[in-house]
Amino acid sequence: MALSTFSPSSRNRFVAVATALLLGAASLSIPSSAQAATLFKVATSAAVTTWDPIQSFSTEAFYMTNIYEPLLWKNPDAAADDYSPALATSWNSSKDGKTWTFKLRAGATFHDGTPVNAAAVKASIESSKAVGGAGFIWDPLKTIDTPSADTVVFNLSYPAPLDLIASSTYGAYIISPAALAAVAKDAKYYDSGKDGGSGPYTISSYKAGSSVVLTAYAKHWADVKPAYSTIDISITPDGITAQQMMTSGQVDWATNIPLTSVKSFRTNNKYKVAVYKSPFNYVGYFNTLRAPLNNPVVRQALSYAINYRDIVKVGGQGYATQARGPVPAGIYPFDKNIPQYSRQLAKAKSLLASAGVKNLKLKITYASENSAEARFVPLIKDAFESIGVSADVQGILFNQQWAAAKKDPANAQDLFIVKYWPTYSDAGVDNLWSLFHSSTKPFFNLSYWKNATYDKLIDDAITLSGSDKAGAQKLYSQAMNILFTEAPGLYLYDESQVSVLPKKFIIPSYNINYPFSAFFAGVKLAS
Amino acid sequence: MRILWKRLSSALLVLIGASFITFTLARVIPSDPALAYIGPKATAADAERLRVTLGLDQPIPIQYFKYLGQTFHGNWGYSLSTKQSVLKEITDRLPATLELIFFAIGFAIIFGVTLGVLAAKYRGRFQDSLIRIISIAGVSMPAFWFGLLLQLLFAGRLGWFPATGEFDIEVKYDNPIHKVTGFPILDSLITGNFSAATNGLHHMVLPALTLSAYSFGLLSRMARANMLEVLSQDHIKVSRAYGLSERIIFFKLALRNALPPIVTVTGLSIAYLITGTFFVEQVYNWPGIGSFAVNSLISIDYPAIMGITLLAAIGYLVTNFIVDLIQAKLDPRVGMR
Amino acid sequence: MNTRFTSLSFLFKDKLTKFASLTLVTFIIVAIFGPWIAPNAQQGRGTANIDDSFIGPGKAHWLGTDELGRDLLSRIIFGARPALLIALAVVAFAAIIGTALGLIAGFRGGWIDNTIMRMSELFLSFPPLLLSLVAVTFLGPGLINALIALIISWWPWYTRLIRVEARIVAAKPFVEISSAMGVPNRIVIIRHILRNVTTPLIVQVAADLGTVILAAGSLAFIGLGAQPPSADWGLMVAQGRNVIFDQWWISTFSGLAIFLAVLAFNILGDALRDHFDPRISRQ
Repeated sequence: MALSTFSPSSRNRFVAVATALLLGAASLSIPSSAQAATLFKVATSAAVTTWDPIQSFSTEAFYMTNIYEPLLWKNPDAAADDYSPALATSWNSSKDGKTWTFKLRAGATFHDGTPVNAAAVKASIESSKAVGGAGFIWDPLKTIDTPSADTVVFNLSYPAPLDLIASSTYGAYIISPAALAAVAKDAKYYDSGKDGGSGPYTISSYKAGSSVVLTAYAKHWADVKPAYSTIDISITPDGITAQQMMTSGQVDWATNIPLTSVKSFRTNNKYKVAVYKSPFNYVGYFNTLRAPLNNPVVRQALSYAINYRDIVKVGGQGYATQARGPVPAGIYPFDKNIPQYSRQLAKAKSLLASAGVKNLKLKITYASENSAEARFVPLIKDAFESIGVSADVQGILFNQQWAAAKKDPANAQDLFIVKYWPTYSDAGVDNLWSLFHSSTKPFFNLSYWKNATYDKLIDDAITLSGSDKAGAQKLYSQAMNILFTEAPGLYLYDESQVSVLPKKFIIPSYNINYPFSAFFAGVKLAS
Repeated sequence: MRILWKRLSSALLVLIGASFITFTLARVIPSDPALAYIGPKATAADAERLRVTLGLDQPIPIQYFKYLGQTFHGNWGYSLSTKQSVLKEITDRLPATLELIFFAIGFAIIFGVTLGVLAAKYRGRFQDSLIRIISIAGVSMPAFWFGLLLQLLFAGRLGWFPATGEFDIEVKYDNPIHKVTGFPILDSLITGNFSAATNGLHHMVLPALTLSAYSFGLLSRMARANMLEVLSQDHIKVSRAYGLSERIIFFKLALRNALPPIVTVTGLSIAYLITGTFFVEQVYNWPGIGSFAVNSLISIDYPAIMGITLLAAIGYLVTNFIVDLIQAKLDPRVGMR
Repeated sequence: MNTRFTSLSFLFKDKLTKFASLTLVTFIIVAIFGPWIAPNAQQGRGTANIDDSFIGPGKAHWLGTDELGRDLLSRIIFGARPALLIALAVVAFAAIIGTALGLIAGFRGGWIDNTIMRMSELFLSFPPLLLSLVAVTFLGPGLINALIALIISWWPWYTRLIRVEARIVAAKPFVEISSAMGVPNRIVIIRHILRNVTTPLIVQVAADLGTVILAAGSLAFIGLGAQPPSADWGLMVAQGRNVIFDQWWISTFSGLAIFLAVLAFNILGDALRDHFDPRISRQ
């Protein structure tokens, strides 16, 4: 990085001199006030698609986890406890896994001053189940009882891990009854940047598409107050711009440094690079409706042609590992014994020949807005060409890619590349079901694959997982082995989360269960 | 007055036609606008419900007339990606873009006309060829590439100017700009907030320079050609014969006579600046209409795209109209058509 | 044919035009013989060589390598053909459609003229490039769609230009005389008008070729034109942008190719205009 070779003082002098020359003005430096000490400036790519915590199903999770709280937070894998208490302080389930009781925290209030009580929890979750984009996570829920103001009882229709569900990134926030009533009256209530949360921060200003300012909520229940009372977030979709803002000191921290730039930060002693597992997984769907891709042997041949090492290197810039099926490492029900394909050209060619395939030409689609896909998809084309299969690569917007794939499957693409992640930390209910379970109308199962054995294994595993996680894992593993041999998909890689962190600050580590989020309450100045 | 009405009504027709073209294009989309609204993880039922709310289930001609009626009443729809009223998004972002255009056109006029006049003065000599090369390079320069180069050199390597943004973030907290006209730099000057103003100007230099390249090239070539034409005209020759000093002739007579075509070219180049801001704002992360336009385009945010297109068409018409007005003022023989 | 075409000496009249002509000839040679000229044709076509990614300009790779380890010079050489072809195709289609409509409008007059001219006015009511941007967005990004989108917004310029010329010619006595003598209209149009509009048409085409290269590059830069793994200059600038502060060469050299091509066409367009008719300009 050329920039970092300048010391800050010499750079400022440069700026001042240049400006004075150019504008005939005096000095430029802005006097720093007392406020500056409590201001933390961030650049992020996270767009706000909605401020409605119930509708929220996208990148706004970055902000939401600072503004709202669920009953529980799920800790990363390495932590001693599975969960940290949020609005609930204790919880337990009946033996059959169908009744769950949560005790609420005393003294927690919403930003409007009203207390967080059982009625608010009931109203929030019922409304999430009824209208939310992520409402399906509450599918097992039958009724909610509120025997007292600080006790909530969930009655389920079938056993389910409600602690896991209650800690979801989406659809599990507890919302102020006043906000719920307001949005029922006016669907656009939240749009200007209003909130109804109980979290450590509240939205103080929102300029759509450009900035969000969060200020600390003075009456938050936690004993330790946030070190930074104002978090100024610039929405900067472009990674290189964010990088420039951080290295030039315009912001303190940029969360979206391009992977291709990480190398230069490794050698820069002002920053450290932290690498974590993430729930992001790259898969390709073969179109199993079309000959010859309806033949598993052909799909295997293509899977053997891929140069996984190069794809990991280019797509993930080294911060990735080859996937073991569609379940990302670190997320239940990942199984490290599931086999992987490797590049074996001779085998690929002979499999192709044994299937009698000649002059195959495939159409590959990927989402053009995904820069990793744009980098590695050409390598898939190269790989196919090396076994005599020609490929036509089409980068289109995800919207268009998805719409085309659902419209007319038989005449759609041959290979659909997608980046996928589970809605909450259960890739059995989500990835394994959503991506490869059959359905009458294609939604996310864009291989259009139908396998009765697989379907049954997944259905049984989902029902079992509420009461017997280990038993469910066995069924899931069997299902994942079928995915390997039948190869309805091309399993590419699990992406790592790479955070470039300024050493000047202590920033809480990444939590795989909240993949889009940063937790600002824990940000401190390093001593 | 009648001419004014005639122009206004024909402008309205043009706008309706333009909106029809965009609307037709928007309806050939092979993508799902409802999906853009709720995100990829929504269920099919959610998408269907939204399609009804957005009126996407109705026949296209009905959708168009509805759209036209609403637009006319100031309801430009809601952006699919930011959920805000398109009209509000546009009015919030317009001042940043207009200030950028203002400075770009200012640079272009100052440098373009000066260099053009100089080229005419040194016609055929070394200076003339040099200026010719610079101006033709200006019109051939891809704005997005020029912007990247300036950013790489003056922000990245030398650190003289900020690479992105309209103000430092601190300005908002330490020297907040009080809203008077809505134009941030102008407002900070009016209210005597000079540290915000200098900061804004400092941020303005690279983007405005990048955006001005095309207009600069156009203007300096036009200024040179007009100066030469005017200088060869009879009354200038006569004044010369009467012994008026060379400098006075040059600046008074010639420049005044060359002004009308320069106004025309300035107007013409503003049309190019409108789309030019798309690329410049994208490179410099400028919080204006241009970056909003690019983001809307790449996410197929069709209500936003329609709004921006309409605004651009209005801007184009208004510019042309103003240019004609000034023309008529400067040169009564031209008159209004 | 105009006799002034027989001498091409005006293409070398001064140093700048000479430079432009040579640049253009180089680009054309490179576009035609690219696969034989490129240091590494395989990589120029798009084959990756991951182990060599991001090597700076030097002896092994004159212009360095990109993120897939491909020789940048070869990629730029392979980008010449699509760049010139798309420019030619857009201008050719726009000129054909525009000329046909312009001729009909200018010669027929009346309501046909009115309708055609109103139509082209509508298309011209968008600031330059905006209509193409919108069209390609809705058609879906890609080289062919970019081509279509550019044609959509380019034809009216030709209609306008040709119609004016056609009107002038149509009013001339010889057209009336030949009509009176019983020569069919169609032949009149083809023989006289087409011949008379050749000069302005050629000047316009030359000036537009550069503008179209610039426009196509702009579409590709914001992700609406050619898509990876195509070798496209605008796309390469965009790809290099992600690493511009560390690997400056990718965007810099790819953009330079666009700039030089546009510059060459603009200089030659000027030379043609000066040579044929200083009066003609797009205003």
